[in-house]
Amino acid sequence: MNNPNSVVYIVDDDTSVRDSISNLLESVGLRAKTFGSTEEFLTAPRTEAPSCLVLDVMLPGMRGLEFQEMLRKSGASIPIIFITAHGDIPMTSKAMKAGAIEFLAKPFPKEDLLAAIHRGLQLDETMRTQNAELTSLQGRFEQLSPREREVMDLVVTGIINKQIAGQLGISEVTVKIHRRQVMEKMNAESLADLVRMSDKLKNQILK
Amino acid sequence: METRAPVPKAKSLARSFSLAFAFVLAALVPELFIVKPFLPYPFLFLFLGAVVASAWFGGMSGGLFAVILSIIAVDYFFIPPVKSLTFSPPVALYLASFVVCALAASWVSSAIKRSEVALKDARDQLEARVVERTAALMKTEAELTRLSRVLSMGELTASIAHEIKQPLTAVVMNGHASIEWLSASPPNLDKVRQSTEKIIQDGTRAGAILSRIRALFKKETSTKDWLDINDVIQELVALVRAEAQKQHVSLRLELATDLPKLMGDRIQLQQVVLNLMMNGIDAIAAADNTTRDLLVSSWKQGEEEIGVRVEDTGVGLNPENVEKIFDPFFTTKPHGIGMGLSISRTIVESHEGKLWATPRPAGGTIFQFNIPVHAPKLG
Repeated sequence: MNNPNSVVYIVDDDTSVRDSISNLLESVGLRAKTFGSTEEFLTAPRTEAPSCLVLDVMLPGMRGLEFQEMLRKSGASIPIIFITAHGDIPMTSKAMKAGAIEFLAKPFPKEDLLAAIHRGLQLDETMRTQNAELTSLQGRFEQLSPREREVMDLVVTGIINKQIAGQLGISEVTVKIHRRQVMEKMNAESLADLVRMSDKLKNQILK
Repeated sequence: METRAPVPKAKSLARSFSLAFAFVLAALVPELFIVKPFLPYPFLFLFLGAVVASAWFGGMSGGLFAVILSIIAVDYFFIPPVKSLTFSPPVALYLASFVVCALAASWVSSAIKRSEVALKDARDQLEARVVERTAALMKTEAELTRLSRVLSMGELTASIAHEIKQPLTAVVMNGHASIEWLSASPPNLDKVRQSTEKIIQDGTRAGAILSRIRALFKKETSTKDWLDINDVIQELVALVRAEAQKQHVSLRLELATDLPKLMGDRIQLQQVVLNLMMNGIDAIAAADNTTRDLLVSSWKQGEEEIGVRVEDTGVGLNPENVEKIFDPFFTTKPHGIGMGLSISRTIVESHEGKLWATPRPAGGTIFQFNIPVHAPKLG
């Protein structure tokens, strides 16, 4: 079951469509917020809880696909379930390629919508957990002194303390002290753990 | 007439000969009893008349037979020695010239008659064909009118589907929600009631959309009624809006509120306005400008008329086409059949109005029609 704080955002210019979806979600115990346009959605405050977006493709103002693109570029990505009364195949494949959870043609079966929403919320939750982990990891890494960072970079390559000392031109004892500090500050339980953290941080920088 | 009853050859020949005989006899009697006793020289022109008449009514064969009969009669009664078929050589020249004249008269007369008959036949045939073609054309025109209706509806099918799918989606969602609210413990009856009311609303909305479309499709003869032109315009907006959005066209209405009703055919007038609006959207889509406005306005034109204008910011008109666009089969669109404006103008004219186009000063085109408002007839 989903996080009880999860919110589903519904953006559709047709009042009766967005209200009916909201009604259905409420009836199965999901929280929903409705918007008549993408602009309205953008200016509204977003929750910290897992969320996903049910978005009509043919909206006035910014159209669904362009909106998806804009969200993706701005980094404020949210899992999107497209709904449309106009759907054609090129549009569908474009949306799916750009990372949409699902593309549903109106009128869609309840099960399809709910399944997509659950997947969307789960994905968002996973992403949020990962992001939170990464943020705390980065915070810990920032607490390291420049020397400790150098030691960490070398430790994770697998070389022994003696070699690290030689490369940095410091004593082996000093390396050992730095190394213990690194393990402690990074909250790493083992060398393997530290290697994983280092990889995550490097991946983040690469992104 | 192409198929005349064929007259049997022998019968028609006998008719020609007896006609010729009668005409020659009719010439001979006055020649003998009136002309001959009073004139000293043979006066034979009546025989020429008989030849001409025989050729006219009996054709070439009748004419020739009359010539032979006349020669015999002339030789026998008028050329010395009288009452004998012989003649003296000096008279031969006279007789010969008579024969030539008679033959020529016979030939000319029958030729004229023949050409006149041919002409009459041709005219009859032509008339029959004109009648036939007119009927065919009228049928084609009626078909085309319907076809263009169906075609423009075809373009709108996507919009209609969209219009129907919206309330349908809401009905399905609210239906499911009702079941969920009912199966909650305890059942949330308030929510069930609300959901069910919404289902009724959306079902009604879908029904209304369908009957509007059916009205547009109906093959009906003109039925005029008192109507508000603003209603006609507003009913179409629901249909056209989706298409406008698809093309990023902003659709604006400026409808005067003080309009009198006019006597008109609602469906036909809808067809005109729909056509103008769809043309406007097409023109804007083709232009790819940043300003993408379609403005529909109505107003009171003096005391007697109502004006309606559809203004677009599209590609605009080539000035030399301003009138041509109303010709049947004239089109500037790659997939158009060129009937829309032609039919629209016919419809406006059948309402005693006028439809015309002018270039819009800031780019695009203005289509305008004025329709007179007649005072309601008493009784």
